Parts: sequence; C-alpha cells; structure tokens
Amino acid sequence: MKQENIRNFCIIAHIDHGKSTLADRILEKTHALEKREMKDQLLDSMDIERERGITIKLNAVELTYQFQGEKYYLNLIDTPGHVDFSYEVSRSMAASDGALLVVDASQGIEAQSLANLYLALDNNLTIIPVINKIDLPNADIAKVTKELENLGFSKEDIVYTSAKTGEGVDTLLEKIIKVIPAPKGDLNKPLKALIFDSIYDPYKGIITSIRVFDGQIKTKDIITMMHTDASYEVLSLSINTPHEKEVSVLNAGQVGYLYASIKTIDDVFIGDTITLKENPTEKALQGYKKITPTVYSGIYPIDSSKFEDLREALEKLKLNDAALTFDPETSTALGFGFRCGFLGLLHMEIIKERLEREFNIDIIATSPSVIYKVKLTNGKEIEVDSPNKMPDKVKISKTLEPYVKMSIFTPKEYIGPIMELCQNKRGSFLNMDYLDEKCVTLNYELPLSEIVYDFFDKIKSFSKGYASFDYEVTGYKESDLVKMDILLNKEVIDALSLIVHKSFAYNRGKAIVSKLKEIIPRQMFEVPIQASIGSKVIARSNIKAMRKNVLAKCYGGDVTRKKKLLEKQKAGKKRMKMLGSVEVPSEAFLSILSSDEKW
Amino acid sequence: MVKSFYIHIPFCNNICSYCDFAKVYYNKNLVDKYLTALEKEIEKVYQNEVLDTIYIGGGTPSSLSLNETKRLFKILKKLKKSKRLEYTIEANFDSITSEKLDLYKENGINRISFGLESTSPKHLKFLNRSIDLTKVRNIINYTKSIGINNINVDLIYALENESIKDLSKDLDFILSLDITHISTYSLIIEEHTKLYLDNVKNISEDKDFEMYEFIKDKLKKNGFNHYEISNFSKDGYESRHNLSYWNNLEYYGTGVGASSYIKDKRYTNTKSLTKYLEKSFIKEEEILTLDDKCIYEIILGLRKIKGIDKNEFSKKYNSTIYEKFDIMDLLDKKLLCEDERYLFIPEDKLYLENEILLSFIGGSSSGKE
Repeated sequence: MKQENIRNFCIIAHIDHGKSTLADRILEKTHALEKREMKDQLLDSMDIERERGITIKLNAVELTYQFQGEKYYLNLIDTPGHVDFSYEVSRSMAASDGALLVVDASQGIEAQSLANLYLALDNNLTIIPVINKIDLPNADIAKVTKELENLGFSKEDIVYTSAKTGEGVDTLLEKIIKVIPAPKGDLNKPLKALIFDSIYDPYKGIITSIRVFDGQIKTKDIITMMHTDASYEVLSLSINTPHEKEVSVLNAGQVGYLYASIKTIDDVFIGDTITLKENPTEKALQGYKKITPTVYSGIYPIDSSKFEDLREALEKLKLNDAALTFDPETSTALGFGFRCGFLGLLHMEIIKERLEREFNIDIIATSPSVIYKVKLTNGKEIEVDSPNKMPDKVKISKTLEPYVKMSIFTPKEYIGPIMELCQNKRGSFLNMDYLDEKCVTLNYELPLSEIVYDFFDKIKSFSKGYASFDYEVTGYKESDLVKMDILLNKEVIDALSLIVHKSFAYNRGKAIVSKLKEIIPRQMFEVPIQASIGSKVIARSNIKAMRKNVLAKCYGGDVTRKKKLLEKQKAGKKRMKMLGSVEVPSEAFLSILSSDEKW
Repeated sequence: MVKSFYIHIPFCNNICSYCDFAKVYYNKNLVDKYLTALEKEIEKVYQNEVLDTIYIGGGTPSSLSLNETKRLFKILKKLKKSKRLEYTIEANFDSITSEKLDLYKENGINRISFGLESTSPKHLKFLNRSIDLTKVRNIINYTKSIGINNINVDLIYALENESIKDLSKDLDFILSLDITHISTYSLIIEEHTKLYLDNVKNISEDKDFEMYEFIKDKLKKNGFNHYEISNFSKDGYESRHNLSYWNNLEYYGTGVGASSYIKDKRYTNTKSLTKYLEKSFIKEEEILTLDDKCIYEIILGLRKIKGIDKNEFSKKYNSTIYEKFDIMDLLDKKLLCEDERYLFIPEDKLYLENEILLSFIGGSSSGKE
C-alpha cells in the first residue's frame, strides 16, 4: 500500500445533520458492505447510539475506492456531534488529515457546525464543505451556500449530497482523493503512532485504536507507551473494513486496531504515543487538548453490595472515555458510591445508561453539580463539587461559580423567548450578530449551573427545536449561593442536597418538594417533606399515610396465589431505596432536575 | 390430619361483573358430567378422615336443580362426619327455594352463606346482579324456621360512586335480618372480569379506608365480633371452615379451580372445566419447605384479629416465631403487637396488613435462617 493512496478523514457536523447516514452511504458506495448487511447508522455500534440517533464513540473504518485506475484506501473516522463530546471530536481530528464539514441543506450552519469547524482548523485539517439533505423539499441550497461562502469557502469547493438518495456521494469520494492530502509519514523513521481511542472487549480485553505517523508496527513487536512507560508485545493488529480483518503490519499513514493483552487500564492513556522499545522515536506526538469535566454527580449502586462491580464498570468505561472521572464518596443516605465528573448532562445520562444496560447495575444518580469555588474567612480557597462539601455558612467569606460564554443560533422569530429565558437563568447579554437576514447569533454570559439544570430542554421547547447552542467555560464570578437541604421525615437526606442561587432558592425548593410528593409513594405513616436553608424551612409538604392496603379476598383457600402476589409486590420494591425510614424510588434523585418550575 | 373439605360447584345462572372464580353458565348436560367427575376426584383423593367442616362453595351451588342437589349429597355421603360438623353451603337468593332449603336441612347442612353483595339497585346493576329485598327477608325467615340458624350474608363495598350513606343502608338491611355472620369484601377489580374489561377504576384509597372503618364501627356497635380482616360474627359463630385456612391447617379442595393443602403440598386444581371433565384435576403442585409453611402461617394467621398462637407455632415448626422471623422492628413500630400467647396486628393497623406481610417476604427484612 502506497502512502500517497491513503486518505485519513473525519466527518464533522451539527447533531442531526446527517453525518452517520452519509457515512452509511459512503460505506455502500465503496462496496464495503453488501446491501443486505446495511443497517442504518452502521458505525454507531452501541445500542444507545442507534436508539438516540447520535454517535457517542468514534469508529474508524478502512474503505477502498478505485479512481483513475488507482486503488485508494480511505480511512473514515466517525465523530460525535453533540456539544458534550467536542472532546472526542478532537480525538478523531488528531488521527485525521482532513474533515468533511456536513451542513444540513434545510437547517444551515448551526452552533456545532461552527465549533467543530474551528476545532478542525486548529488541527490543521483540510476541510471539504458538504451540503447534505439536498433532496429535502425545504432545502435552501442557495442560502446555505451563501452561509458557507461567508465562512470563507469558495462555491466550487462545496459538494452537494443527499445521503438518503446517494446523490453526490461519488463526487464527494473523488473530492476526498483530490483535496485531502495523503499522509506524509516517513516509513524509515522509528515507529510513532497515536492512541486515539480504546475499548474494552469482554473477550479480548483492551483494544486500542491507533494512527501510525512514522515507521511501522508489526505483530510480535515490543512496544512502549511513551507517557506511561509501559511495554507490551503486540499480539495482533487489525483493520476494520467494517468487518474486522487481521493484518501483520500497519505502516505510516495507516489507521488500525492494536491488541496487546494490556492488563492494567491505567497503562492506556488516550493521546499517548506508541513507539518501539528497541528503537524509540525521539519525541512523542503532541497529545490533543485535554478536556476536564464540568458537571459532577454522585453515582451509587441501589444494592450496596454492588459497589465493587460499579468501580470495575466505571474503570472499563473510562478506558475509552478519558473525560469521565470518578472518586469514591460516601453518603449517609446512599452508602458507598462515586463522585463522577462528566462533560455535560448528556454525557452523564449516557454513562448512567451504559452502567445499567451493559453492566447490569441498578444505580442512583444524585442531582448534578458544577465546581464552585469558596473563599473562606481564613483566607483559603477551596473547590466544591458536591453540595455536601459546602462549608458552614459562618466560615465562608464569598462564593464563586463558573460562567460560560454561550452562543445561541436561532431563527429571529424566537429571539424574544430565548432572551427571556437567558435573563431568567441569570444571564447577561453580550451581543447579537445577524448571520443572514433570518438567523441570529445571540451571545450571553451565563452561570454554568443554570445550563446543567434544564437549559437544553427549555431552549428547544421555546424555539420549536430550531435554536441550537454551544458554550465554553470562561471563568469564575462571585455569586450569592446557598446550600439547600431536603428533609424527609425530618431527617436531612444528604443525597438530595443542592447548591442554588439565593434568589431562586424559594421557587426551586417549592418545586422540588411538590415533585417529591408526586414521586414517593404513600408510606405506612405520614412523611413530611421539607426544603431548608440552614435551619430555616422554605418549603414543605406531606406525603399522606398509606390507607387501605389489604388483600381482602381470601376464600376458596387459594392462598398460593396470594403468596405469589406478595412475592411479586416485594420484587417491585427492589428499585426502592430506604432513606431513614422512608422508601424512595430511585427516580426521586433526578426529579430535582425536572421539577416543573416555570424557569 | 385433614379435617376440612371444600367442594366447588362452578355453575351460575348469572355471571357477576367482578367474579374471577371458576364458573360457567348453568347447563344441565354439563352438571351431570361434572358431578360424575367430582365423584371420581373425591374417590381418588379422600382418605376417609373424619371431617369437622365441609363447605360447598361456588359458583352458585344453589343453581343446581333439586335432583342434581340430591345427587350431590349422595356423593358427599361417603365423607365421614364428626359429631361437631360445620356443614356449609353457599346460596344465591335468585335460585334458592324452600324445597332446596328443606333438602339441605335433611342432608345435615347447618350453615348457609348467602350472597347479597348490595341492596341498592344502582350498585346491583354495576355488579350485574338483581335482588328482591322482600324475597331476601322471606328466605332468611324460612331458613331460620327450619332450624338453620347459622347464617352468613356477603357484602361487597368500595363500589364505583358508592357513598357512606349507601354503605350504611346496606349494613342496616343486613343487620335487620338478625343473622350470625357477615363477610364484607372491598371490591377488587381482577383481570379477566367484566369490570376489568370495562376499565372500571378502584375508588380512592382514602375512601376505601373510611368505609372499612365505618363497617368495623357499625358492626361492632351491633354486637358483632370482628374476628378476621373481612369477617364479623356473633359470639361462637365464627366460620370454623374458614378458620381452618387461617390457622394454616390441612384441607381437601375438590372441584374445578379448588385448592388443597395436604401434608407437605399445596395443590391447585385446573380452572378449565374441559380438562376437569377429562379428569385431569390438578394443575399445580407446590412442595412446601418448613420455611414456606412458616410464611403461610404468617400470611394467613395475621388475618385473624386474635393473631397467631405463638405456642402453637413453636409446636408445629419446632422453633419459635422469633427464631424464624426478625419481627423486632415491626414490634418497635407498633405494626405488630403481642401478649403472652398471641402475635397480632393491632386493630388500628389492620388496614396495613398487606404492607406488613411484605416485610416477611423474601428480601432483606425477612426470615432469619
């Protein structure tokens, strides 16, 4: 395989602009798969990905395409689209030489189209702009072309496709070969390869995805991970076509999978450089930008004996999700669990679902929190990522919370409600740009904690789904924050505590109390629910005592059935957690997020 | 030693909207075949024990004609009866006649359980029943006149749109009959019933509770003892047959859908009349471990107001109730009480019976080993 016949590229797009469908069509055009093997969004191998229609984990596949009598090898590296995963996008980019910027012909440029484009330019990738979904009746090709021109692309460079019908895909493939540069590695230099992903396979163990920049890697080579300094023998190498195909060697420019019976998860560091133990490269590749979690939540097994299982599961997830962090923590209410850090709410939800589905552990996640900074009266400053680490009021001199710069792209008819929303989320208006006569970018500065709460749902509902947003954390600002406790049957339930802005405390307390009243079933005694700040109760309600609760009928001597009924009811209680003397369904912990507050 | 015997007669002239027992419309041809099968089953299972209680239930046993009833009693002649036999038959006011009552008396019946369920036309319609209250009064009087004085009447409450006033009227009528036993059942909407298919919903938990308290109060004021969650009787007129269930004693159950408890097994007969007529009687068998028996003792025994006899428990299961179950928490919370001899649910917590039983079932808070 000649290096000049290899093209490594990724696809970037705003969520739902047809990235995965376009990848499917490319697979079909390059005959990587028979038609009968095609299922929608083939690269999205996880169930959750296919169900939610979003790509979470990247995936690399090698395709072959004949062009002007030459055989080309195209490595397509899939990327996720959601704002929470820009971190993974940057991983895909580090392994690529070019990127397809896919824009929906009916939606035009959106928040993440831009964010990803800038990321790609930062990574020195060659960009091919693609206007997709041109078959849609409401496609506005002229408008979107104009938008791309405004971003500095020339009209001739734009490729028009319909991933649905396949139109334009051949043109696109030719463009990839013509425009995206071939890798420029030196086969004769010592091995230099980038780990850009890794997964845990229940049968094989740890498998890493690598891009070879210089030299070559062969089976039985002894390799060293430059960052962790761990050495292993290469047991096998493979490429994904998308059927797994074993190969004996990967040369400079190639992308593939490496299996080396790596025992310790800690030895694999995504972004690390692999070289040969005997003939190492001098300098490691520059690892891509590391992204730190912005949202924290406590994750606890419902069954406390599953603590170690939970630890193992989190370790396995972390393997290809370096952005996930976790540290053990204890809760009076929930026992032993982990304080986990996530890139955002979607990331958190996906981790929760994977824990339940792939590892079969029933979990409780506590209400998410951002990292607050607290200046103490003794002059020290501490970081608080959990309401329960909030020091006593008398020891606090001031509290600070993280702020973001938020860019919201919206058709102009929704400007009013969106500005109102931002205002109510304690946002301050920065400026407004018209992208064209119909679309605007609103720039706001907002506290991150308000976005974590329910911003995504609200903005989507206020704009009938049309608005999109992207944000970056800009720094900390002083803010009047208080810790609010929730009491069940007069006991503080630490797992339900939260940090709120003082001016919102009353409304949020009321909303949470009424939501809990709805979710917690009647108990054998009346249970007061209270929200309090310090010793002051700011909202209260009661869960009524259980009333008639008798399996009244018991004649004919059919008691076997009654026993079965009781056993069934008992099994139904398995998803309940005893908090003090109150049985609480696991959903209660997140209800705090979705309480029907007006703002 | 088995001392109780149940016989199920599945025939009805009318199907009530709430009923999920094994039942079919009355059909002369089927009755004949059914009695033949029943005779076979009794011959097969009965080991000639002397019986203290016999109970003919249904369905509607009084739907059988005079001749069919005669044949039934002839079959039951084979059962050995003790001197203190309680011999009950269920009857319905529509199908009962003075001739049938005479026949019952001749054959030793000494207790009759009548299904009344309600007195209001609106609620009877909801239950898909009809009743003439004058006829009810006449039948009860006739029953007493021939010397059958142990009489039960069934009442169903917690019906859609039922008020406390409606309930009070029902109870007044039943009390005016001057009988010895009253069973009151809160409506359960079971799957495979007309009510379920009609998507009828239960009344509120609070209303149900209020009605239960009202019944307990009213019946107690009128000289009835509350001796089991749903049952009330005059002194000495507790249903001995039903008490044998609640005391977790063995019993035979014959007929379609009936259940039995013999030695270490609980059996449930098929609910399919076709299968029953083909003489494949038993559908399910549950082999009981010692722990299973203890759980049944609790599920059944705590239905009694008096509760579970702790000495009896130790004798039956060779270990004390405290060794078998961790009940300290329930005692602390006053969800269970005890005296020298009995362990019981206090009167004011009876309505929580189901929830209390749940803490004995499986999982963390149950049985020590």
